[in-house]
Amino acid sequence: MEALDEQLMLAYRDGDAGAFETLYARHRGALYRFVLRSLKDRSIAEELFQEAWIRVIEARDRYAPSARFSTWLYTIAHNLLVDHWRKKGLSLVSLETDDVPVESANPVRQLEGRESLARFLRALEALPPAQREAFLLHEEAGLSVAEIAAATGSNEEAAKSRLRYAMAKLKTAVDE
Amino acid sequence: MSDDPKISGRYRELPREEPPRALDDAIFAASRRAVQARPAPLVAPSGRRRWYVPVAAAAVITLAVAVTLQIQHDRPSEEIDAVAPAMKVQEAPAPKAAEPARAETRAPQPFAAERRADSARALSGPAAVPAPASPPAAQAERNEVGAASAGTRAQRDERFRAQSQVARAPVEQSPEVALERIAELRKQGRHEEADKALAEFRKRYPDYRLTDEMRAKVEKK
Repeated sequence: MEALDEQLMLAYRDGDAGAFETLYARHRGALYRFVLRSLKDRSIAEELFQEAWIRVIEARDRYAPSARFSTWLYTIAHNLLVDHWRKKGLSLVSLETDDVPVESANPVRQLEGRESLARFLRALEALPPAQREAFLLHEEAGLSVAEIAAATGSNEEAAKSRLRYAMAKLKTAVDE
Repeated sequence: MSDDPKISGRYRELPREEPPRALDDAIFAASRRAVQARPAPLVAPSGRRRWYVPVAAAAVITLAVAVTLQIQHDRPSEEIDAVAPAMKVQEAPAPKAAEPARAETRAPQPFAAERRADSARALSGPAAVPAPASPPAAQAERNEVGAASAGTRAQRDERFRAQSQVARAPVEQSPEVALERIAELRKQGRHEEADKALAEFRKRYPDYRLTDEMRAKVEKK
């Protein structure tokens, strides 16, 4: 039986470096995609991804499994994203209800010839950051509405509403 | 919340990007360094908490030293209070009958009590202040000393009480009781002591109005 994330983190806290590597392996891809798709800038995404894990490492002594490890991990990532947006003069909340203009499509992705998928990706990228974040937390991290609310520092109603709007917009893109 | 499998499925079709290997290595290295650096403490000192432990330790040590010094400073004076009368009595000729041993425990009180009462008076004004009870430790100490020479101490106690009766009166009793004591001295023919006590009384209670009857008892005829 596999150890729970929280058990691995506690083992790492107690000095087991191998536990961290197992934990990292479980979450590296999802967290990376969450950050990458939130930012659309690979170099910044890599920087924030690394910073998120460094914070996990640094906070290991204080770690107490009061919530799921993944909720904690994505809370850290969310905070880093918010800091990043603040530095850029953007606010996650103020952009919540305003649609961001679709950026020029990635030429590599266009070349893939999968028009439908590209449309879906563009719709995802076009989501307001808070809605996109809620969707990514749900899809990549597998967080529930309550956990999304906890990770993003909002209430459940707001998290539910963001997720519902995101789903509705993406559904339109899928159905086209 | 209703999940749409079509949306999830389409999302899963997107490229599954992974972090580059170099990033993995950098993070692993950082995680190992953190583990090797030191064992995890029970309470992690970080940020502002770094200085809590030394400051708290210094505060506790300072407090402990201060309390110890205070205790040491207080105890010798009490011991002197307790022992000094006994020494005086041993030098004096042995008086008549010995009082019961229970008088022993009261013997050293006057000096300490008077001193404490003086301090209290200085703070609270001229009103008479009852002497505080002796602390149990000091009492026990005195009992121990008393057990060694009960007879001598009992005699000393009686003599001492007679000597200090007048001086103690204004402090420990009301003006009326003090006057009664002066009258008693006068009655016993100890006029010199009575005069001194009366002078002390007038100094302490300058506005006390003596009745004619009491005046006749305390003043020299």
